[in-house]
Amino acid sequence: MNTPRPRAVVIGSLSLFIALFVVLTFELSASASTSAGKAQATRKARPAPAETKTDAEPEAPAAEYLEPEAEYVEPEPEPEVEYVEPEVEEAPPVVTSSS
Amino acid sequence: MIEAISHTLSTQGWWIVSRSSAMVAFVLVTISVFLGLTMAGKPLRDPGFTKAVRAVHEQTALAALVAIGVHIVAVLADPWLQPGVAGVAIPFVLGLNRFWNGIGVIAAYLAFLLGLSFYLRRHIGAKRWRIAHRATIAVYVLGLFHALGAGTDTGSLPFLLFAAVTAVPIAILFVYRLGAGRRAGERRRLAVRARRRDAARGALLENP
Repeated sequence: MNTPRPRAVVIGSLSLFIALFVVLTFELSASASTSAGKAQATRKARPAPAETKTDAEPEAPAAEYLEPEAEYVEPEPEPEVEYVEPEVEEAPPVVTSSS
Repeated sequence: MIEAISHTLSTQGWWIVSRSSAMVAFVLVTISVFLGLTMAGKPLRDPGFTKAVRAVHEQTALAALVAIGVHIVAVLADPWLQPGVAGVAIPFVLGLNRFWNGIGVIAAYLAFLLGLSFYLRRHIGAKRWRIAHRATIAVYVLGLFHALGAGTDTGSLPFLLFAAVTAVPIAILFVYRLGAGRRAGERRRLAVRARRRDAARGALLENP
């Protein structure tokens, strides 16, 4: 039996690559042309980077939105306090005795 | 439609190249491993056929390395993924599908090391090379898991059918090969024992 030439493998691989390339391009283009397909394709194939790019920790379940109960009340301005200079007592002079 | 195709190619061209080359690489690795196991288990007796199988085994292995190279370049160039050199060169660095892409990086290293070691077997030594070459099955197994875990198209029926149809005979051939290796070892041990026995008997007859 003759040794097969590498040409067959090269041609086979290239043909498969081109066929896959064409099929995938058409598939993506077709799904992108319809809005429903676009959304589906994006969801299936390329999720938002934030969802998958990092191994994100599981999110906590979203809490139900509650309407704030109390109305916002503007805080009353505090009464201005007049500044009073503190009285300083004069200390008597220290007398040191020398022996 | 032409506008849509042009838009797809400009925005997702590298991604399509990466997916296509990955599938070609997987098909070629599968064929190469299948043929390698077929030869190693020695279920083929015709030497001419074995020679032809060996040639296709080598050609598909080299073509698979080229396809893996294209896959790596396309992943590196993908503007959406932006893995960086470290993402494709160091296992478990890429954030997206960290584990499955990590084993993909390991599979690629093994593929290049074990595949190209064939051309260095004179330096490595035939026996050592043969032992190392047995680990090539790991390239197929890791590649399969990388594809199943991180691949976009692995949920498609054609891929699943191809993987299932080829994985079963490869598993059978691998088990057969392990058995063949054990049987060959046993035969060698018996032959050595017989030679020693004959030599001892001859010595006894010469010097009673």
